[in-house]
Amino acid sequence: MTFQQAAEAHLDDVYGYLAWFTSDRFAAEELTGVTFERALRLWHRYDPDRGSARTWLCQVARTVALDHFRSERRRTRREELAAPPEAVDFRFAEGLSPDLETALARLSAGEREVVALRVLLDLDAGAAARVLGISPTNCTTRLNRALKKLEEALHVAA
Amino acid sequence: MSQRDVLAELRAARVAAPAEVRERVLAVAAAAPPEQKRFTWRRAVVVLVPVAAAVAAAVVLSQPTHRAAVTTRTLVEHGAVAGQALRSAASPKAYDALTVPTTQQRVQQVGTYLSLRTRSVSDGVKRAVRIASSLGGYAVSVHADLQRADLTLKVPRTHVQQAMTRLSALGTITSESVDIEDRTAGLNATDRLIARLRAQLRTATPREAPKLIARIKALQRGEAAMRRSAHYATVSLHLETPHAAVHKHHRGPLHGVGVALRWLGIGAVYALALGGPVALALVLVWLAVRTVRRRREDALLSRP
Repeated sequence: MTFQQAAEAHLDDVYGYLAWFTSDRFAAEELTGVTFERALRLWHRYDPDRGSARTWLCQVARTVALDHFRSERRRTRREELAAPPEAVDFRFAEGLSPDLETALARLSAGEREVVALRVLLDLDAGAAARVLGISPTNCTTRLNRALKKLEEALHVAA
Repeated sequence: MSQRDVLAELRAARVAAPAEVRERVLAVAAAAPPEQKRFTWRRAVVVLVPVAAAVAAAVVLSQPTHRAAVTTRTLVEHGAVAGQALRSAASPKAYDALTVPTTQQRVQQVGTYLSLRTRSVSDGVKRAVRIASSLGGYAVSVHADLQRADLTLKVPRTHVQQAMTRLSALGTITSESVDIEDRTAGLNATDRLIARLRAQLRTATPREAPKLIARIKALQRGEAAMRRSAHYATVSLHLETPHAAVHKHHRGPLHGVGVALRWLGIGAVYALALGGPVALALVLVWLAVRTVRRRREDALLSRP
């Protein structure tokens, strides 16, 4: 598989993962571009025997997103002192109920990340765990916890 | 809404990248250079391991065996008069007993070494001691086991040639050497010194005389000891069975591999002893760094 083929095949997956992870459309768009630029530089390291291109691209995307979170935290610490951040209207995906959108927004970034990988991208536990750098058991536990939170939030909303 | 319903709704959701993002990413991908044949460790190992094995096998199998080296070994040590050592090439066949060039008119200290391959070390030892006794000599020391024996024999110098000939008949000679040191010049000098001291003694005062006499007696004692020791030649005899010789000398074609493996084992033990604690410390540091990194990451991702 060439880099071009991988980019075409998995662009939506990477964008979806980053959008759910960051819950910020503009950040997701920017990070998707950065992810593929970085992936192009690192493409020679990609080994198809060790995992699919999608998993590898998600790993790169996660590194990019973590850098973004770190710089964002530093920035918000400074800016929150001057003015509180404005709430951004963001939709996770087409077809989701407003209650589920709200419940997803209330999840932590780490919980949304695991939901995105396991449910939205439909990665198996091993591949998702590889992206997250944790064990498959831990990954499943995190997913169950996140789904339970979603269920509880929807129950309260109902 | 149950968890199953939540999952179903989430699975039904689809996210598509906006057109501008797609355009940007595809532009990046289009700039990708064409794929080149990639160097991977797996490919390198697949090629290098058989090549290394072939080279090692060629080196090991092309080495001459030590058995061949034994048969072609031709150096024999010859003794030299007055302590000068000479070496010369002998016949590539089994050696003949060396001629011991002693002279009865001169005082010489003779030492010989004879190495034999014999069927029975025990018989060889007995016969060697008998030969020494029959020639008026004796055994100074015998160290023997079932496969090897080392004997030191004293044989009258006048019979050393005969002893070498008879001892060499006990087996196949594998090595021999003769060392002769001429002491005649030293003894003549001592004789002249004694004569001078005697001349001095004739004109010496009663006070000087005892000292001179004592010195003359000491010189005479030393001279006598020298002549006594020169009366006997020292024959060092080494006996070994063919089996022992094979075990000692013959090394199979895989001997080099065995030696290499042994050194690798020694190196591994040293590496383990020295590198183990370092590796353990590195692992602990790595675990600590990973734990800290994960905690920071969790803290970073714990907010909505």
